[in-house]
Amino acid sequence: MGFYNELIKGVWRENPVFRIVLGICPTLAVSTQVSNGVGMGLAATFVLLGSNVIISLIRKGIPDKIRIPAFIVVISTFVTIVDLFMAAYTPALHERLGIFIPLIVVNCIILGRAEAFASKSTVWMSIADALGMGAGFTVALTIISSIREVLGNGTFFGIQVMPEAFSPAVIMILPPGAFLTIGALLGFFNYLSKRRST
Amino acid sequence: MEKLIVIVLSVVLVNNFILVRFLGLCPFLGVSREIKSSLSMGVAVIFVMTLASLCTWLIQYYLLVPYKVEFLQTIVFILVIAALVQFVEMVIQKVSPVLQKALGIYLPLITTNCAVLGVCILNIREDYNLLETIIHGAGAGLGFTLAILLMAGIRERMSLGKVPQSMQGFPLSFIIACLMALSFFGFQGFFSH
Amino acid sequence: MRELFNLTVVLTIICSLAATALALVYNITKDPIAYQQRLKKLKAIKAVQPNYDNEPDQDFVDISLEKNAEGDAVLTRFYLTKKGTDPTGVVFVVTAIGYGGPIDLMLGLTPDGTITGIQILKHTETPGLGAKITEKKFLQQFTAKNAQNTTWTLKKDGGDIDQISGATISPQGVVKAISEGLILFSDHHDEILTAG
Repeated sequence: MGFYNELIKGVWRENPVFRIVLGICPTLAVSTQVSNGVGMGLAATFVLLGSNVIISLIRKGIPDKIRIPAFIVVISTFVTIVDLFMAAYTPALHERLGIFIPLIVVNCIILGRAEAFASKSTVWMSIADALGMGAGFTVALTIISSIREVLGNGTFFGIQVMPEAFSPAVIMILPPGAFLTIGALLGFFNYLSKRRST
Repeated sequence: MEKLIVIVLSVVLVNNFILVRFLGLCPFLGVSREIKSSLSMGVAVIFVMTLASLCTWLIQYYLLVPYKVEFLQTIVFILVIAALVQFVEMVIQKVSPVLQKALGIYLPLITTNCAVLGVCILNIREDYNLLETIIHGAGAGLGFTLAILLMAGIRERMSLGKVPQSMQGFPLSFIIACLMALSFFGFQGFFSH
Repeated sequence: MRELFNLTVVLTIICSLAATALALVYNITKDPIAYQQRLKKLKAIKAVQPNYDNEPDQDFVDISLEKNAEGDAVLTRFYLTKKGTDPTGVVFVVTAIGYGGPIDLMLGLTPDGTITGIQILKHTETPGLGAKITEKKFLQQFTAKNAQNTTWTLKKDGGDIDQISGATISPQGVVKAISEGLILFSDHHDEILTAG
């Protein structure tokens, strides 16, 4: 109970992408290849962890009125740190993710967790929440980008997995394919959870 | 002049913020139930995007670059946008109660609209000058409005149709967005001839 | 009033802490980022013209070839590759008009104007179709071609260049840009090579 529960709720029961439908923009934009998806997921997890910890630590010192601006400053600090480190040590990934790295700032998942969880909980629980939500986001990105990369390019992590005769459905790595994939997945998960509850 | 027209057409049709660049999907899905509220949201976004493009461009080139602190870009831009939205809200409240009623609840949502921060960062990355920046900002807002209006029109009709239970709501919206993106895809290559 | 003062103080403290942290990180990452950018440039040069022992990113000529709409000169930068003091080639960037927008490509030539390699630096072509211009299969064919021994159009337009199935405009744009680059170089041949 407690820590473990907070940790695992993000992966399925409150999965930010599939259940609450947050953070859709980066999810669709970077999921053309699995490596992008995983990279984005990890970057967002780091920001989530950092901002959750700091916000939980300073939550008592922040007057309610300037709560949101203070959260935004903390979050964008961590985003810039990630941005700079990625530019320095993973330049290729940094270039592929492009504008969506600074845009982690406005990823609703992060501000949402700060507001809904970290500002009301202890540091320990906030860490669990951040790791769980980050894992949920990363898992969702991995699933979507795997589907798109395998069907749209015949590869997985850049390695050819489909037989030579398979002609890739290019549409899957184009924008319409992103909408199609997430629409179908959400419908499928709705169906699953409905069947489970009856 | 030619470049300005290209910028507008490109950002409205070819690189539509929502359907091609995946920016601003939250309001696109959240506020597209009726045409009327979509239009209000669209107008608010055009207004804030244009203003934010202008302000952030000035800050970038007269503050961040001269003092060599470009690495503060993300943090400064998001704060500027947040302050700007607050400010616009206060002005509208004072000046026009009618407008306040129409746009009021949409303005706060715009702060976390990634399309606004997105357009500001793109202006800098594309090396636009001040005029191009303003045009690009307004054009991006226009493209957003076009997409959200089309979506709302379709959804208003779809609400009468029969849809399998699991597909209602978000899943169906994404499938519609897929078809819209497919048709906007036809604009690709607009400028190669 | 007192409350306003408190709010301002708290927010100022948070902002200054954030700025300090970022300045620190910036200083740590500044050199690695500059190094990566230089590495990227050198890698691209090496890929199109591997035959050198100088530092071509420090050894370049800027030549103004045209004027833009405002009448300012547009400079094109030619990187010179050398072995000892002998020039082995020239590397420069040309821009093609593709399907989705401009395509920046790096062109490596020998001093007599024969291609040693092509690299696509930046493009916005359709993935899976036009974006195939970045594939080795397409780019390799240009090596050893020059303005004289090749007809610079696609095979289906009567030329010598292999096309890409499913894409016409992107390879056409690339071919046109390369042939224009070759002419550009031969027009300014002496100016470029003697400047180094």
